[in-house]
Amino acid sequence: MIETAAINAVMRTLADPTRRAVYERIVGCDEITVAELTRGSGVTQGAISQHLKSLKLAGLVAERPEGRHVFYRAEPEGLAPLVDWMGHYAVFWRDRFANLKTLLKEIDP
Amino acid sequence: MSDTELRAETQDIVVDEVLPHAPEKIWQALTSGELIGRWLMAPTGFAPVQGNRFTYQTTPAGKWDGVIHCEVLEAIPNERLVYAWKGGHESNVGYGAPLDTVVTFTLTRVENGTRLRLVHSGFVLPTNETAYRNMGEGWKKCVPKIGAIAGEQVSKKLH
Repeated sequence: MIETAAINAVMRTLADPTRRAVYERIVGCDEITVAELTRGSGVTQGAISQHLKSLKLAGLVAERPEGRHVFYRAEPEGLAPLVDWMGHYAVFWRDRFANLKTLLKEIDP
Repeated sequence: MSDTELRAETQDIVVDEVLPHAPEKIWQALTSGELIGRWLMAPTGFAPVQGNRFTYQTTPAGKWDGVIHCEVLEAIPNERLVYAWKGGHESNVGYGAPLDTVVTFTLTRVENGTRLRLVHSGFVLPTNETAYRNMGEGWKKCVPKIGAIAGEQVSKKLH
């Protein structure tokens, strides 16, 4: 089942509009550096770094150091806790049907 | 809001499979509290009788305690079991958002066993859209794209 802590972390992280904007920019490209993210953002590089730290902690972005640069990319799996009810139950029922088939084999071999 | 409008805005989940067992056996698995607990979740207070109210305890989210409130709407032995499936809290979006749905199991005897069709109906999409809108216009555009990728990963994460 979905961990509530993970849902809360993702929700809290994306509740901040600036941070969400940073996240959306990362999602919009393959990889991006802090400097590129700062350009045209209207906030300081330090602030962007802080947001990246939060996004990383929530599992929403991943980083890849290369030389003097660090490249950030979106981590699609980080959004899994936010999947809506319908997505949740689509997976849920598929799995439960598998359980049901196993159970039926046991009680009705 | 009229019924027609309401219906137009909801979507269903359907799982439909032929199982190599008699309808009676499958009915047993769908309606014995102990057996339900072994494949779905352990229900509290379940009886396959119209009007019966029971609950499932699932993972809480935010202000929602995780309790699914159910009520048997129809129980025709070996043929059809329908129950309401409600939960969630209005302060939540995504998982844990308000949920007012109906679960229908239909059993049809076929040559090699039973065709079992599950329809979980009543997922209101505007709720989700509102959630996305509240989270920003750009987000709304990104999510479907990411959702598709995330969907493949979800099954691994959920269990």
